[in-house]
Amino acid sequence: MFRILKKSLKTGVVTGQHPKADAPREPASPEAVQKTKPFTRSLAIREVDTGSCNACEMEMNALANPVYDVERFGVHIAASPRHADALVVTGPVTVNMTRALKDVYEQTPDPKIVIALGDCAINCGMFKGSYAVTGPVERHVPVDVRIPGCPPRPAEILEALAELREGKKP
Amino acid sequence: MADAQTAISQLNEAFGNAIVGVSDLHGTPVLRLGVKDLPVVAHYIHTHPGLRGALSLLWAVDHRPREARYELCYLFTLSECRDWLLLCTDLQGDDRLFHSITPHIHAAKWYEREIRDMFGLIPQGHPDLRRLVRHEHWPKGTHPLKKDFRWDTVLEQAQGEYAFRRIEGEGVFEVPVGPIHAGIIESGHFRFSVAGEPIMQLEVHHFWKHRGVEKLFEQLRLTDAVPLAERVSGDTTIGHSLAYCQAVETLLGIHVPPRAHYLRSLFLELERLHNHLGDVGAICNDTAYVLAHAHCGRMKERILQLNDQLAGSRFLRGVICVGGVSLNLTDHQVAQVTAELDAIETDFSELERILFANASLTDRLETTGVLNERAAWDHAAIGVVGRASGMDRDIRRDRPFAAYEELQPKIALYRYGDVRARMRVRMDEIHESARLIRDIRARMPQGPALAEPSGAPKPGEWALSAVEGWRGEILYMVMAGEQGQIHRCKVRDPSFVNWPAIQWAVLGNIIPDFPLINKSFNLSYAGNDL
Repeated sequence: MFRILKKSLKTGVVTGQHPKADAPREPASPEAVQKTKPFTRSLAIREVDTGSCNACEMEMNALANPVYDVERFGVHIAASPRHADALVVTGPVTVNMTRALKDVYEQTPDPKIVIALGDCAINCGMFKGSYAVTGPVERHVPVDVRIPGCPPRPAEILEALAELREGKKP
Repeated sequence: MADAQTAISQLNEAFGNAIVGVSDLHGTPVLRLGVKDLPVVAHYIHTHPGLRGALSLLWAVDHRPREARYELCYLFTLSECRDWLLLCTDLQGDDRLFHSITPHIHAAKWYEREIRDMFGLIPQGHPDLRRLVRHEHWPKGTHPLKKDFRWDTVLEQAQGEYAFRRIEGEGVFEVPVGPIHAGIIESGHFRFSVAGEPIMQLEVHHFWKHRGVEKLFEQLRLTDAVPLAERVSGDTTIGHSLAYCQAVETLLGIHVPPRAHYLRSLFLELERLHNHLGDVGAICNDTAYVLAHAHCGRMKERILQLNDQLAGSRFLRGVICVGGVSLNLTDHQVAQVTAELDAIETDFSELERILFANASLTDRLETTGVLNERAAWDHAAIGVVGRASGMDRDIRRDRPFAAYEELQPKIALYRYGDVRARMRVRMDEIHESARLIRDIRARMPQGPALAEPSGAPKPGEWALSAVEGWRGEILYMVMAGEQGQIHRCKVRDPSFVNWPAIQWAVLGNIIPDFPLINKSFNLSYAGNDL
């Protein structure tokens, strides 16, 4: 017990100790910001992997670590599409995942937004044209927000989410 | 202790007539056999006490248009001497049948199903010929790795349903999980059969994320495919790109400069460190011990930020290239790395003391998800999973690459095969990686870190390469085509081998322990599905 406390005291607060996001990115569209309004700054996210290399998942997971601590902004990961406000989709949509993506979109109650995370979700990246890939996310479900990068850094994801929730005009 | 050469003479004595030819591929003996004789010889290699060959890789090549034949290759690692031994056989012309070795060598099961899906070659006598990679909605006769299949074909839709193995009886339930999971996890499907709490059967139904990686390789030139290798499994960027580059360097006759070897080892150990730190935390998190998860997440983040500072990529993308490394760290930067790692290791040691003192954590980890030595051997389990179950294999020691010949890593080995053993292997390897990186700094030679290609491979020439990534051994087989193109690239992530093993490890455990067991394996879905 004493050891645990000592460790925590020694470590101190690490939240926010990360480099600023500096990658150029398109600002969130006014429509997307408008669509996010009903969630009153909190966002329940369902993460859908449709064929990523798992680097995007690693960075989504990093959002939950004490350094980025995304929950302090009211963003959390929902365990069911029924509880989700937003779908975060990573990866080019593979032949085998196409139906699952459409299903999960149907299962998510309106209003909802779809965030395409990473280059593959936006334009299939390196996997464009492959027999096993049916196209980018927007070919199957409407996409509201695009966060480019291979993979995008957690700070960049954080910034994109902040912009959405606060409706800030850049 | 028999080495590969004595093994050859032993095989010559036993099967003299069956062996069509013996050759040598960059130091690995290659035995050419007739299709009919292969299963017997394979069985002998697998079971003979002096050889005990574990099946390491099984792949097929379509040699068209140059030659009208398919080739099947079986790579064995002899347990006694850890040498490789390769068996090859040909299917001439329109022949589509070969004899399955799965009835005798369990580890061949998924490989043979994969070959059937990708090439349309049929392993006769295979106990389970359901589709593996191709899901049921793929049209009949689609075999993507055949040379007459275009890489950008648009697949039509067919109907069909995967037939799961069923257990029926009073009180037996099926629990389907996935492909999309509750949490940030890759896509894959698990089908449990339970009676009450204990799991009676688990069937892993994967390949949802199949992106056609091996076919995409064939559209690229040998020197251009590193970015694709980096994206086979994002968390193993260095492991995969290094394994790919080594194979290409063998083909192109490139001698990588010593400094590049050391830097490659350094990057590989950095990758091992951040993944192992994340895994230790994630295992604790699945026992609801969130504090450890937070600390480990913080330490992992320190390494990722360090990577970003050094290479401009948190996963060290673009660092490994054919001929060496594109990032020649200065001595000052290497010193910066070791200083940061010293701090992280002290930090981690403090956390370890907290973890070991926690009885309720130990209670959850011990005897959970046991993969015993026999089952590990039968599945040819490798990497962290294998070493936690007494499989004493590590490519860094057995077939030294990069700078490991001089570095001589110590191998963490446990026998019990439970979640705790797998966590202990990771903990030991964290300390060992930190030590190795300090050692790398002390021994780092000066000089260039990139060499120019010096030759061009003939079409049909091929090379094998192995790297001990943080999950386990990553194997690449790269065959050159016309004018520097890739004719065939077989990618084998350790996950492909270890996924079937998890089906055994969970038996008798309760479903709430499955996430914990799965986390302790922490296999890649992307690297498995390709």
